[in-house]
Amino acid sequence: MDVLIAEDSRMQAKFLERKLTEAGHAVRWAENGSDALGLARQRRPDIIISDIEMPVMTGYEFCKAVKTDPTLRGIPFILLSTLADPIDIIRGLDAGADNYVTKPYEPTFLLSRMNDLLATPLGVDDASSAATLEVSLAGQQFRVQAGRQQVLNLLVSTFENAVAKNQELVVANQQLAAARDGLQKSNTELTTLNTEISRINAQMVRDLEAAAKVQRSLLPAADVAIPAADVAWKYVPCQSLAGDFLNIFPLDDQHVGLFVVDVSGHGVPSSLMAVTVGRFLTPKVSDSSLLVRQAADGGILVVPPAEVATQLNRLFQADEFSGLYFTLLYGVLHVPTGRLDYVSGGHPALLRVPAAGGPPEFHPAEGFPIAFVPEVEYGQQSLQLAAGDRIYLYSDGVPEAMDAAQEPYGEEALVACVAGSRSDSLASSVEKLLAAVEAWCQPKGPLDDVSILGLEWRP
Amino acid sequence: MDQFRRIQTGKTGNVHMVLFKDKKILDDTVLDEIRAELAQLIGKASGPDVLLDFSNVEFMSSAMLGLLGQLHRKISTGHGRLRMCGIRPEIFQVFKLTNLDKLFSIHKDAPAALATFT
Repeated sequence: MDVLIAEDSRMQAKFLERKLTEAGHAVRWAENGSDALGLARQRRPDIIISDIEMPVMTGYEFCKAVKTDPTLRGIPFILLSTLADPIDIIRGLDAGADNYVTKPYEPTFLLSRMNDLLATPLGVDDASSAATLEVSLAGQQFRVQAGRQQVLNLLVSTFENAVAKNQELVVANQQLAAARDGLQKSNTELTTLNTEISRINAQMVRDLEAAAKVQRSLLPAADVAIPAADVAWKYVPCQSLAGDFLNIFPLDDQHVGLFVVDVSGHGVPSSLMAVTVGRFLTPKVSDSSLLVRQAADGGILVVPPAEVATQLNRLFQADEFSGLYFTLLYGVLHVPTGRLDYVSGGHPALLRVPAAGGPPEFHPAEGFPIAFVPEVEYGQQSLQLAAGDRIYLYSDGVPEAMDAAQEPYGEEALVACVAGSRSDSLASSVEKLLAAVEAWCQPKGPLDDVSILGLEWRP
Repeated sequence: MDQFRRIQTGKTGNVHMVLFKDKKILDDTVLDEIRAELAQLIGKASGPDVLLDFSNVEFMSSAMLGLLGQLHRKISTGHGRLRMCGIRPEIFQVFKLTNLDKLFSIHKDAPAALATFT
């Protein structure tokens, strides 16, 4: 079979040519109606397939030229149309086309259409049998010249196209429905997952709250009674779980123990270590307490602070893998005399505000952070308090609190603050120091835990 | 070619020179990466001499000190030597607050630190 293609898209023409060649046809191709007409006149093809939109000569013009040429008019003519507009059908009818195939098409559909057309010889209507028909479409009147056979063929092909398109639509609808079902299923799964995440999240929040509660148990009891002293403290963790903790309690009827501990880092690992350390820093005589021991005479023996630090350092060396360590300032106040023995494990210096007046004094102490260097002996310092003297223990979250420009609050500001509030109550001076640190860190607030513990000796 | 993301490394004689690239060593992720890279660098060396250069570091968390402690312990156990340099005053304050300025061998700059290895 000799097939002539008029198609301006080279890619589409080549595709069609291949399909037709595969089906055993001889194919000629021109890229517009005018060239195609020339080829048709050179050698009469058995069938013509033509695109509509082409430069130089459109498919309609080409079709009309073929159908008005007495030697060519008997050749079946198929128009490839996008059929975007119903008027295309009228135009095709008027041009004398025998058949429509809508783009995009399945090659097999086009081939079967060709075979149908070739199997039904065209009743060649001569010009006289081609009646002038009046057609009304989309509110417009058309007068077209068309033979009966041509009208019939075109009608059938249009109907077939509609059926094919409808089938495609049905398939598309089924795919859409399947996609919708899939989406619904994913949605359900997502909801289930979200519920699961909420449940896990709620569980984690509960766990964190429980851990925070355990951690708060490391803080001074609300009703703690310290003989011959005023006590005030503030503790502000920067996250729900902190690495800081502090406490103050009577060790026996003559001694009061007090400390601030700062475990490096934040969050769960640091807080777990804090809780573990806390178990050893208890005033209750027990196997775990490092602060007090049962004396031979049945009484209580208060362990010297330096020994407490040395023991802690020995116990926590196991933590070399986590890289966690802590700083500690631990003091024991002999209540009757006002003598304070204390030890520092890499902790910021104790600050004293003398009752007699004069500037507040830092009392730095040597000693590396705990769990830092194996097998070191910690040294002990002593400080004799005068009646009315105040001491402040604090974590590095106070002097190292950063403002928006990354400037630390600093030791000078700390000294100025406690000096400025020396005539206020101890509780008020601790509150003022915390307020000053928090104000310094605006707008973000402290990025480290802030712990402050104040004591005023009042024999 | 530099194989590390957090540290720049080189060698002067037998001394491993380590320059921290970060301006801020604050978050745990950065810390973990530094830890892993240092372990990779000196993990297999026996008795290594190491110089840590902090010239780029403007902010450092106290957790970094823990890492330095681990490193110090590891190097001393292998009879190596650890030196530090290029620590600006704000960072030095972190060492001073914790007395660790007395544990670590801290020097002004790399030439001064290198001189102490001989």
